[in-house]
Amino acid sequence: MAAIGIDLGTSNSCVAVARRGRVDVLPNAYGEFICPSVVHFAADGSTQVGEPAKAHAIHEPENTIAAAKRLLGRYFFSEEVKKAKAVSSYQIVEGANHAVRIKVREQTLAIPEISAFVLREMKSVAEAQLGQPVTQAVITVPAYFNDNQRQATRDAGKIAGLEVLRLLNEPTAAALAYGFGRGLTQRVAVYDLGGGTFDVSILEIGSDIFEVLSTCGDTFLGGEDFDDRVIDLLADEFASRHKINLRQDRFALEKLKAAAEQAKRDLSIDDEATIRIPDVAQDAEGNALQLERGISRHEFSNLVADLIQRTFKVCDESLQQANLTVRDLDGVILVGGPTRLPLIREAVSQYFQCELKADVDPDQVVAMGAAIHAASLVGDEKDSCLLDVTPLSLRIGVAGGLAETVIDRNTPVPIEQTASFTTFRDFQQSVKIRVYQGESRVQEENELLGEFEFSGFKHARRGEVRIDVTFEIDTDGIVNVTARDPDSGQVASTRIHLSSGLSEAEIQAIVEKHQVTAAEPMAPAGPTAAEAIAALPRRVTSEAAAALPTPEPAAVLAPADAPSLEDDELFAEPPQAEDGIERASSVPDELELATAASDVGSPVGDPEAALGAGAEFDLDLGAGDDSEELELAPPAADAFRHDPGDDGRTRAIGGEIDLEALETGAPSGEMLASDDVDLEPLALDESDLDSLAALADDLPDLPDQASVEDDAMASTRPRQERDQAGASGDDLFGDPGADLSIDPGDAES
Amino acid sequence: MSQTSIAEIRTLAGLLEELDYYQVLELVPDAPTSAIRAAYHRTSRRFHPDAHRDAPPELQQQVAQVAKRITEAYAVLRDPRRRQVYDRQLAGDRDRVRMPLAEAEAQADRQRRDQHEGRTPNGRRYFALAKADLNRGDRASAERNLKTALTFEPDNAVFRALLQELVARPSGAAARE
Repeated sequence: MAAIGIDLGTSNSCVAVARRGRVDVLPNAYGEFICPSVVHFAADGSTQVGEPAKAHAIHEPENTIAAAKRLLGRYFFSEEVKKAKAVSSYQIVEGANHAVRIKVREQTLAIPEISAFVLREMKSVAEAQLGQPVTQAVITVPAYFNDNQRQATRDAGKIAGLEVLRLLNEPTAAALAYGFGRGLTQRVAVYDLGGGTFDVSILEIGSDIFEVLSTCGDTFLGGEDFDDRVIDLLADEFASRHKINLRQDRFALEKLKAAAEQAKRDLSIDDEATIRIPDVAQDAEGNALQLERGISRHEFSNLVADLIQRTFKVCDESLQQANLTVRDLDGVILVGGPTRLPLIREAVSQYFQCELKADVDPDQVVAMGAAIHAASLVGDEKDSCLLDVTPLSLRIGVAGGLAETVIDRNTPVPIEQTASFTTFRDFQQSVKIRVYQGESRVQEENELLGEFEFSGFKHARRGEVRIDVTFEIDTDGIVNVTARDPDSGQVASTRIHLSSGLSEAEIQAIVEKHQVTAAEPMAPAGPTAAEAIAALPRRVTSEAAAALPTPEPAAVLAPADAPSLEDDELFAEPPQAEDGIERASSVPDELELATAASDVGSPVGDPEAALGAGAEFDLDLGAGDDSEELELAPPAADAFRHDPGDDGRTRAIGGEIDLEALETGAPSGEMLASDDVDLEPLALDESDLDSLAALADDLPDLPDQASVEDDAMASTRPRQERDQAGASGDDLFGDPGADLSIDPGDAES
Repeated sequence: MSQTSIAEIRTLAGLLEELDYYQVLELVPDAPTSAIRAAYHRTSRRFHPDAHRDAPPELQQQVAQVAKRITEAYAVLRDPRRRQVYDRQLAGDRDRVRMPLAEAEAQADRQRRDQHEGRTPNGRRYFALAKADLNRGDRASAERNLKTALTFEPDNAVFRALLQELVARPSGAAARE
């Protein structure tokens, strides 16, 4: 059975297959090799993908989803999402845990679901062409995609019914298609300007080996930004002439978009393009106004000159990372539709001062590379060895709101690194481990991949506990983190997605929904993913909360192997918790009250994570001696400690402070040592319950759900505010040693 | 792709914690920099997880362990600064065969800083004075201060190079650090 390669692009997608030594890009029934990544939702519940869908953008912009890839794996509060909200005609809403959802015709869809429509289309194009079912694929991603975006792409593949053999970086795929089987020995740059992203990779190509020396990118820069410049020009001119803002009319905006894109394409061939939009708006008397304007290459190039310069800054960085100059390169491979523009080709050839490899089709080369790799992975083709790198530094959150590098960007993958940490306070019981990707020393300036709490290590004085945290990046560029206690051998293995991450259960529910859809057109009132999942048995957190007695240590102590259900129940326990906080704050040294606060505090402190889609939590509050701990808890700043262990690598991890502690300012600088943290891919079975809880947020119409939501919000909000304010718990420590501790996840009581 | 035998993978995976990075890459310890990439390619061809997709899970896991160690070895040895730091660790303790990348990087940075600014308080002080002298154009004083700095840090290559330049080109433009 053939395995296919899919280039899932922001604007366009493409599918190819490699068989018997040749690579074919597969056309759809209309003979088109390139499929717009656009999904249209019709009133009768049916969907269309590609050119027919794109045609709907003009008259039904709110039901036509384009460029969903820009939202893939993003947090709702991210800049990119804000930007997309401003320019998109469809409704972008916030889901649970800062996830992005699209609301279309009463359905609320996760972004991977939208991408899955495109992937499914590619799959069926391939099946029609090959005359056989296709279940395996290599899907390409921008090299600069972070772990969240990669996970979301994988999820989309699963939802589309594909086994994703590999996520391949687009520039690497292009280099593979260019060099495969040609016996070259070259050093090349791949300049990949897509619809929404820009990547540059520098590779060394050997006979059967493709080594990426460095990769850099900008996930905020692509051909659509070029279109936007033209749209701005047209809209501004129209506004000054007719005093009508076309941007506020979404129908007019869609027409502008289409016209701008067409003008850009025309300018790839001609020196001059004409933009003509009849009936773009009406004046005050109701007369139709039209927009007509010529645009020359020169004018266009002035409009986008700074965008092109931005790409070269990224190229500079990539060369520097590879320790090379342009003179060390043998050529440049151009990838992506916008690289057809003569002004880009000229600028690139001038920058690199070397040959542009002309024998590749910039729209198809990525899918072809993916197809070659897919075939080699299933044994249909000769193998070539792809040695890629991680585009972003992997970091761990430490005290003072800082993030310490564990694996540098441009480190080859697969790789594994272990760092040892120790506890920060006497008898500390858990640590919160936060994992980031990015190039900043400041936590908030990086992308949060996940956070989890590790506990159950021995009850000991600070510095006596050792926790080994192992970070792994696999060949897909996906991150796994494991924490281990070398003494007890206990392993915490958790992956938490705060954003778009879908749990296995959610994905399954979505897949089932689409199976139903395939059998019969979905009625407009058909179940949304959230409803489908809500129909499954689910944990009722509100009941659990009600059943929970007034917090006292015994109520929250859980054995080390306690099922996550029990832990989760604690999360929906805000009223008492807040009450406890209040009182604790006023009487911080009053033993019983303070104890109550911290007991419920730790769980309440993590509601986002716990309720997060796909959240997987293993929380163990252990049996603490409360009075002792409170007495022994050192003042925050003093609690910090750097402990060079036997290998000189053991460091204190500042534990994450629990919510109550944060608010009360109680001496809660508990430091947690994390030993083995394992972020597992989304395949965790136990995540079902959490995902259901997460979906509850999507169902305000269900009474009991609503109360859950309220509770969840109540307990979540303070934490969100704290995060958004950029003040993480560590700040309480007064940053005693900056780079040396992870924010303490307090579980202390 | 791979002709790598199952036995070879098992053996290597079992020995992994005892092999230093040179052994992992099948290199001699004084291998030239140019040999390191070639060794990375050679070993990756044989142990890349892609080449063993059809292997039983346990074997796949072992291959992955080997592949990750190969990458790690390459990530340290390909960078001359990190390699130097690693060599020193290995010389000090034959049993410490691994070095975290972040630590290699941090030590390499520290070493560079030591060389460029001085390692000892007095070395730093006189080197700074020498640089200030040079900025003023007082080459004689710079030479004296550099010589003093070198008495505290006789092995500082940066200090020595600057002094040599001063002596060799008495009237040249002010040397840069």
